[in-house]
Amino acid sequence: MRDNVPCEFPAGYDGTALLKRLEQVLDPELDESILDLGFVRSLQLCSGHASVALRLPTSWCAVNFAYLMAEDVRHALLRVEGVHQVTVSLGDHCAAEEIEAAVNDGRPFAEAFPGEGAGSLAALRLTFLRKGFLGRQERLLRDLRTVGCTAAAICALRIGDVSMQDDAIVVQQPGCSSVQRGSVVSLQRYLDRRAELGLDCSLAAPLIIGLEGKPFSVDQLQAHYEAARTVRVALEANGSFCRALLRVHRLEAADQSLHSNMGGRHVQS
Amino acid sequence: MYSHDGQNLFVIDGHMHFWDANPENWRNKYGESWIKCFHAFHSGLSPAEEVWPFDKFCRYGEDVLVNDLFRTGYVDMAILNSTYLYEFYKNGFNSHAQNNVIKAKYPDRFLLCGSFDPRDEEAGVDAFRRMVADYPIQGLKLYTAEWRNGSRGWRLNDPWAYKYLALSQELGIKNIHVHKGPTVYPLSSDAFDVRDVDYAATDFPDLNFIVEHVGLPRLDDFCWIATQESNVYAGLSVAMAFVHLRPRYFGEIMANLLFWLGPDKLCFGSDYAIWSPKWLIEKFMAFELPEDMKEEYHVDLTFEIKRKILGENAARLYGIDIGSQTAKLSRDGIGAGV
Repeated sequence: MRDNVPCEFPAGYDGTALLKRLEQVLDPELDESILDLGFVRSLQLCSGHASVALRLPTSWCAVNFAYLMAEDVRHALLRVEGVHQVTVSLGDHCAAEEIEAAVNDGRPFAEAFPGEGAGSLAALRLTFLRKGFLGRQERLLRDLRTVGCTAAAICALRIGDVSMQDDAIVVQQPGCSSVQRGSVVSLQRYLDRRAELGLDCSLAAPLIIGLEGKPFSVDQLQAHYEAARTVRVALEANGSFCRALLRVHRLEAADQSLHSNMGGRHVQS
Repeated sequence: MYSHDGQNLFVIDGHMHFWDANPENWRNKYGESWIKCFHAFHSGLSPAEEVWPFDKFCRYGEDVLVNDLFRTGYVDMAILNSTYLYEFYKNGFNSHAQNNVIKAKYPDRFLLCGSFDPRDEEAGVDAFRRMVADYPIQGLKLYTAEWRNGSRGWRLNDPWAYKYLALSQELGIKNIHVHKGPTVYPLSSDAFDVRDVDYAATDFPDLNFIVEHVGLPRLDDFCWIATQESNVYAGLSVAMAFVHLRPRYFGEIMANLLFWLGPDKLCFGSDYAIWSPKWLIEKFMAFELPEDMKEEYHVDLTFEIKRKILGENAARLYGIDIGSQTAKLSRDGIGAGV
């Protein structure tokens, strides 16, 4: 999806760093990159001023999540060298004006939307970071189980027992073979979120832990897996729902611009 | 009635609407955004050939509804959800009074849901009693996220909600449908948090709580609650629509629901006119749970389980005897083919 984002950079400018930062911005409710979801409509950089146009699945997407994404985009791009100003626009979102005014000015949600449950915005974000942790962990567990790791072997793993080699995870323990290609992503995403939540990421720490930081006994692991699996399915189903709505939104926007172009021509004639 | 290999399946559409979203009924821009959002759901997840133009979607009328549900859509009975939204629609979106117009014409076909808003407090008690006395109210549909005088919603465990739930029980209403589903602007998302259902279900063990849209996007939270509370049921509308566009996700959602809740607590719903029962049911009956999911979750979606989901479970909740109801329906205008 990132290849489809129209970018305008100064001649000779390498926009990789900007796109990499954008890629790290997530839809908190879906735990997926806004770039992969297709929410980024365009990106421009001019004299250190970055402008990002977002298009969300519907004009009626929840204001609090829309605010979080716009704010994250601004913070992410301000960290890129040479960028000193960021303007985020939300297109036809119902609260575009209020969100843009607040985010581009660095003002908090509570000021822009008094009385909209602002106090719980940080809590909302944390709730979904935690759900994302479980969803990511489930994918890693699924990979480990697929290559034949038993519950006992999984419970005994420490972070230092797994390493990444090309696209595969290598598990240094008897009873587990090297994991299939591609699963290095699930390991990396899991460890990233684990660090983000402030959980122990040292090499000696158990690989699979709960949100409280405690490892599981062999007896507990299956129940934990079953719960994490449902969290992952919920996140993925939501992502799928949003993609379907975004597709309609895009078609409608294309349709409207076609109509307005035709109208324009008509006036000229 | 859906027939397959000589077997008949009695169908109850547990969640459908008879709304008026004509522009003349819009009170403000929210009335417009509400129905446009519904239309986006409709066009985003329906098969291309089933998509309606926006103006038909705003007000489809009685004949279209009767045809889409009962004549071509396999539905035997339907639960009319009342959704008021007076702050967005001048005459309401589909109030129990509006819904009762069609219920009165086909009394055996519809189950009519009323509602309450605990923010009315004492002042609403008489009106609630009157509604139950004057209309054939058989269940309630509660919209915890509805805006009202600056309030952005309420919770099922608010003290006044408890008073109304107790009153409902006293008046013989057993089934409480609670909308917990995708965030629709202009409703606030926090009001879709499902955890308040947990408290109410524990404190009112004799009431049934049917969580519409299985709490999506909070499917996980819903599953934990439904596992703990024996009187919490899953309303499948919204989830059903995945059967077309994303059959594998549909399978995974069903596998999870069957895993946590079992086959006796899942109730079909179309959310008509957002989606239509005809294609939903045809695709649902043709759908088989992928083998890898059967193995992993140790569940299946057999013909007998589909029969429960499509009608038997809701019939049990509403005390409907399928045999005698089928006989009765065969004699009404629709059943007799008039």
